[in-house]
Amino acid sequence: MAIIGQKLVRQIRETGWKATVAQRTDDAFTRFTAGLTWDDVRGILRGDPPAKPNPRVKPHTEGFWFHIRPTFYHEAVTTLYPTFRLGYLSALFFLIETITGMFLMIFYTPSPERAFTNMIDILTNVPFGSFMRDLHRLGAEAMVVVVTLHMWRTYITGSYKKPRQFTWFTGVVLLIITMFLSFSGYLLPWDQLAFWAVTIGTSMADAAPLVGREVNLLLRGAPDIGAGGLLRFYLFHVLLFPLIGIVFLGVHYYKVVRWGISLPPELEAIGEDTARKVDQTKRVMFMPDIITNEIMYAAVAMAILAVSCATWYTAPLETHSNPQVTPLHTVAPWYFYWLQGLIKIPHILPFPDTLNFINKPVDDFFALVGLTPKMLWGIVIPPIIIVLLFAIPYIDPNPSRRYKDRKIAIGLAVAFELLILYLSLGGIPTGVPGTGFGYVGGNPVVEVAQEFIPDEGESEVKAIPYDQLIVGKYPLANDPAIDERNAPRLREIVRAIYADIEHRKHTADPLGKKMPEEAEGDVQVKLLQENLKEFIITIRYIDENQAPQTFSKNAYIHKNSDYR
Amino acid sequence: MNLFYKIITFRPSFGLRIVTGLVGIVLSLAICGIVGLTDMVAAQLKTNDEAFEGRLMEAGAKVYFEQCARCHGLQGKGADGAAPAISSIAFLGAQNTNPPTPSQRLKDIGWIGSLESYIEAVTTSGIPIKSSQAWEQNHPPFAQRFAGPLRDDQIKNVTKFVANWRLKPFTDGVVDAPKPGAGSGPQPTPMPLGPKENAGLEVFKGAGGCTACHAVRGVAAGAVGPTLNKLVSTAEKRVTQADYKAAGGKATDAAGYIRESIVAPNTYIVPDCPQGACPSGVMIQNLQQILKPEELENLIAYLMTLR
Repeated sequence: MAIIGQKLVRQIRETGWKATVAQRTDDAFTRFTAGLTWDDVRGILRGDPPAKPNPRVKPHTEGFWFHIRPTFYHEAVTTLYPTFRLGYLSALFFLIETITGMFLMIFYTPSPERAFTNMIDILTNVPFGSFMRDLHRLGAEAMVVVVTLHMWRTYITGSYKKPRQFTWFTGVVLLIITMFLSFSGYLLPWDQLAFWAVTIGTSMADAAPLVGREVNLLLRGAPDIGAGGLLRFYLFHVLLFPLIGIVFLGVHYYKVVRWGISLPPELEAIGEDTARKVDQTKRVMFMPDIITNEIMYAAVAMAILAVSCATWYTAPLETHSNPQVTPLHTVAPWYFYWLQGLIKIPHILPFPDTLNFINKPVDDFFALVGLTPKMLWGIVIPPIIIVLLFAIPYIDPNPSRRYKDRKIAIGLAVAFELLILYLSLGGIPTGVPGTGFGYVGGNPVVEVAQEFIPDEGESEVKAIPYDQLIVGKYPLANDPAIDERNAPRLREIVRAIYADIEHRKHTADPLGKKMPEEAEGDVQVKLLQENLKEFIITIRYIDENQAPQTFSKNAYIHKNSDYR
Repeated sequence: MNLFYKIITFRPSFGLRIVTGLVGIVLSLAICGIVGLTDMVAAQLKTNDEAFEGRLMEAGAKVYFEQCARCHGLQGKGADGAAPAISSIAFLGAQNTNPPTPSQRLKDIGWIGSLESYIEAVTTSGIPIKSSQAWEQNHPPFAQRFAGPLRDDQIKNVTKFVANWRLKPFTDGVVDAPKPGAGSGPQPTPMPLGPKENAGLEVFKGAGGCTACHAVRGVAAGAVGPTLNKLVSTAEKRVTQADYKAAGGKATDAAGYIRESIVAPNTYIVPDCPQGACPSGVMIQNLQQILKPEELENLIAYLMTLR
């Protein structure tokens, strides 16, 4: 202590206060940047040419975080093409998810008694709570998109070929981890959306032959999702999957640096890989070029995410999970629509009767080994797809990365993607709007009510302003007895229900079901309590047995509930 | 094609990178600032809180009408012989008076906690000892923890719903002053029950689930559907009524009327239920499928003894 003090005193005496403080500050700063002085950093951010010898390579040897980054890139990979920065963005989203996830974790308990209350607490009592949740949710969906696109880019540019086969392999693991991370997070809010999406997801595992029951038990911790399942999914989400993700991200990125980012195919001779042999004149230094580029991408991505969450995006939260009530039209997350499509396969085939000559023998064959068509499409096909993904670099015999040499490979990929798109569209539970494709609705009477008062989620009825819900009984008509000036929304909804019923009388749904000709009904608004009203749709019709039937569905609407 | 090429080989200049990056960072920080301000200064959190309070009350309403209305009535006014009024000033107090009226019930039993905690406690665990001789039955426990049907969050929600009546209670209602129920009024004439009728009584209390809603002196105290003490004489009158025929009723005698009411309950809905006419569809619609044919016959035989 005394010695340090003496040195300091001597330095001040010799060079003066100002210079001493400047020198000491710079010293401390240099320690943080692993070798860059303040002037170096300033030069980097101003785009000044480096001094000689270049001080900017120092962090790459001195510091941990920069030593895992290359010192320079090949000029040809620094344009938007060929990478589109998708790998970088994937890692960035992983970081965003980690940070927002840790924030949410503070306020969350993985127990059925607490979880949903915690969610409401986060939205109503925690500053930045709903913002963080929106960021986390939207970031997760964006991450699935970015990671998938990243895989696509790698495939299209043929970058998985020798020597990058294993990089691809780890990449597929990361894609699966991304999906699993997203899916395991789905359950945690413990609302109806969460509960039933995950029940559907895990029951696919249940259908698997031999091990299905055991796998399902392991996942759920019990025959049905409950306290055990929630805790397990939580641990998967915050511990197991992130850990696997970090391990594979490490390996993946090491391989990327080890072999270099693959050059655009046309720059290399066929079968060669020259990404590591970068001519002096083609080098783009990490500092300042790449790092400023990356900061820019991070800032723009973050800004887009933040603006989205502050404006148009709100993470959904439905009502408390209820194992006894399955909401009509329950859905898997959108990135699993293709799986739902697969399960609906005989139903969504373009020419089911024509294609039966393929379909039937296949089904018959699998029936021999004890597999139903659902199991075939839901259990057998997805693992095959995953294994194929892993195997791509090892089974692709074509040494060339040039587009014109890879017509078959790219054609297959595009066909595959169109197929996935087709299945995803077919997997939409209500079918593709405007067409009948994938439609699985039930009784048209029930569907009308569901359209206006869905079991869960946003609804036009709940969005009617409270003061426009004028108590009374309104027969459905094109010109209902509701004052346009007092209650335009209510009037509009009553008209819309009427129009929908009339429409369904003339137009059969894609399954050929029509609204009975005599169907008519009314809308009733009741005041239950101060600030609480009930909205009831009643439809009367004659069923196929000529018996009069009445169907009604209601929604309770509180003055403050603010569904928008 | 040229444009496409230009886009994909785009390399932002150094200045553009710095400016775009700065704009992005400043924008993100600004959004964070705005979110923080709206959350804390503009009381967005409070608005959210009220919204969710409302949504939870909506969920509570659903629970109330599924579980509680059976005895306490659609408007919480209680039901004869089954349960006291809970939308009353005596029970809840009132907040639309100046000053607010405190709850008489809480005072009477010496409950120290809030009204909400009392409602929640009673719903959860029931009333453990008989606090009043006015009712045949104590309030049963409703929490799954106490072998009831409801989760704790549902009980919290229904508590919000019931307590909300405080804003504008329906009745003055005196606590524990039941209106005459199945225990008084016209009594069924005692009739000897044969084996067939006895079997029917078992169906009435068991498989048919009739006792949940209907009252019969000494047998059941349901308070939703019509009291059945004088069923046969009522039925005989009913089949001659014009409004019954207008509604599509086809029965010509009491037995036929009873059968029709069981297998097609929506045909004619009686106006004189304890809580006023029910909406159609309240009575179980598929009893014909639920009950075996001989069970149905026995049930009708039993009901024919209620004269």
